[in-house]
Amino acid sequence: MGWRAAPAAPCLACPAHSRAFLPTAAAAQLTRSCGPSQPWRCRSGGTSSRLCSSCSPGRCWSPCGTRAPSRPCSPRARMTVVTPGARRPLARTPGSTACLTGTSWRCRPVQKAELTRLANTLLHVPNLHWLVVEDAPRRTPLTARLLRDTGLNYTHLHVETPRNYKLRGDARDPRIPRGTMQRNLALRWLREAFPRNSSQPGVVYFADDDNTYSLELFEEMRSTRRVSVWPVAFVGGLRYEAPRVNGAGKVVGWKTVFDPHRPFAIDMAGFAVNLRLILQRSQAYFKLRGVKGGYQESSLLRELVTLSDLEPKAANCTKILVWHTRTEKPVLVNEGKKGFTDPTVEI
Amino acid sequence: MKLKLKNVFLAYFLVSIAGLLYALVQLGQPCDRRPPLRGGAEQLRQKELRISQLQADLRRPPPAPAQPPEPEALPTIYVVTPPYARLVQKAELVRVAPTLSLVPRLHWLLVEDAEGPTPLVSGLLAASGLLFTHLAVVTPQAQRLRGGEPGWGRPRAVEQRNRELDWLRGGGGAVGGEKDPPPPGTRGVVYFADDDNTYSRELFEEMRWTRGVSVWPVGLVGGLRFQGPRVQDGRVVGFHTAWEPNRPFPVDMGGFAVALSLLLAKPSARFDATAPRGHLESSLLSRLVDPKDLEPRAANCTRVLVWHTRTGEPEMKQEAQLERQGRGSDPAVEV
Repeated sequence: MGWRAAPAAPCLACPAHSRAFLPTAAAAQLTRSCGPSQPWRCRSGGTSSRLCSSCSPGRCWSPCGTRAPSRPCSPRARMTVVTPGARRPLARTPGSTACLTGTSWRCRPVQKAELTRLANTLLHVPNLHWLVVEDAPRRTPLTARLLRDTGLNYTHLHVETPRNYKLRGDARDPRIPRGTMQRNLALRWLREAFPRNSSQPGVVYFADDDNTYSLELFEEMRSTRRVSVWPVAFVGGLRYEAPRVNGAGKVVGWKTVFDPHRPFAIDMAGFAVNLRLILQRSQAYFKLRGVKGGYQESSLLRELVTLSDLEPKAANCTKILVWHTRTEKPVLVNEGKKGFTDPTVEI
Repeated sequence: MKLKLKNVFLAYFLVSIAGLLYALVQLGQPCDRRPPLRGGAEQLRQKELRISQLQADLRRPPPAPAQPPEPEALPTIYVVTPPYARLVQKAELVRVAPTLSLVPRLHWLLVEDAEGPTPLVSGLLAASGLLFTHLAVVTPQAQRLRGGEPGWGRPRAVEQRNRELDWLRGGGGAVGGEKDPPPPGTRGVVYFADDDNTYSRELFEEMRWTRGVSVWPVGLVGGLRFQGPRVQDGRVVGFHTAWEPNRPFPVDMGGFAVALSLLLAKPSARFDATAPRGHLESSLLSRLVDPKDLEPRAANCTRVLVWHTRTGEPEMKQEAQLERQGRGSDPAVEV
């Protein structure tokens, strides 16, 4: 597959080669960005079939998720994978409601560890379907293998976030909506998997891989009729953020310090949506462009529900059942430039 | 009647031609015409017999797969976890409990760094559904971090792990859960599992049949993608590590397990609180086993089944601001 310069996008200088190109739209599936300073593939004239993500002379390594990664990917490296339209019927116990949990992945050294411990939690939740959406140009073998070995009911999707929207600088920059395209793909998959007037009972929950979820949380959300909400620990610089619930059991505001005037001042892990509502409001998606930090949740929820329609869970939002934990980036200083450990050993 | 000569020659010629033609026809014919006919029939009979055998095999039910041993027949895995009070304590325990719940025949030994059992840990254990023993012992002042000391400055949870070893050896002191230590002759293995690491289910089955001390790689530790033993011909011949490779046992706490019988046979084997940084594991293992007797697991230490993940400290800037204003989050809400 050939490469050409994309006229509307900048080309990056590559020290070892004469030119560096952004891939064509068709070839975008093959690229990945790994490495701290050279996110794009280089070519040295003619068609290159080697997936080299470093342009420095004498240094080239395989992207994350391929058979022989020769160095760990930087935090900015992303992976997206698209399943071939597989639509699995939800396994469900008659009369119960299925939980559909969407998780977006990106390549990083702790990926397999995060995936493993989240899967170990989800294994305890009955009638659950896990939608895993990788930020990558293809399904990675690591994730595919792990999902298969969990025994969970799952769907493995991928979509790569375009360069314009990728993380830059600080990974915690709230201005950049990480995972938005992936969550939107999950919403689209649901709308394609189920007819608009489907009677399939289900609840959709967006679960990032580094948070901590109690088993009780999933049972709390299962009874969601429209949109349910609950507190989340360790967000907004507080011990917890929570909806403010009045004596009548109605949500009337938000206990938060960070921008409390947001329409829905809630973390992604603090709400769940009934599947029927997702299907009925087929135009409701997370907004991708022009979203201020902390407003991504509102960009979806305002298309679905009003404040007064929110259903408080977790004992009227007084119990913490989910924690916004963050896994520290591992210090791999002893790997050195050439790598110390066997790259074929998957971590 | 007079026989004409030409008629004789004609008859002779015709007979010769006939004989020659017969001979030509016979050329190329197999000499043994009758045996191939018999062989073909035999082959056909053999094939029909084989087909009937295969059909009988298809009708026969398949053999039952080998059943895993009953849980009661499995050695018990004693998982020692020393939790300590910090913001993410409950989250860490909530996150590790489901993994442990997937492991049959597991006994969770929690020893808190506290004067007594805290409601947070007690409640969590009671709700976990796991078989557990709850102990509590305060870290002696001499072992605590001084102000400004980095977290790795002193070995952590030495007192707590040693208290668990004492309980296993019949020392008592449990404040919750199963209070009686394992009876003599109990088959088991002891594993020291910190609450912030990540464990695969497979890891526990790898360690279950440990006879002495078993070892395996640990991911994301020692500044490396993974650190672990080097194995040759099924024996540990060294260790793959970049930091202080000359330690007697350069393994992480999550990288080994000890048979209960070995711990009971060597009652003086304990963790040494005065061990230099990185030598805590060696302080126990050097009293239990020689490096050459280590039992490699995880496909001869080529697979990573446990990761030394670390949870970041939550950002509490806004909480501090509210507290200064007297409007901090409701402390009655347990996080």
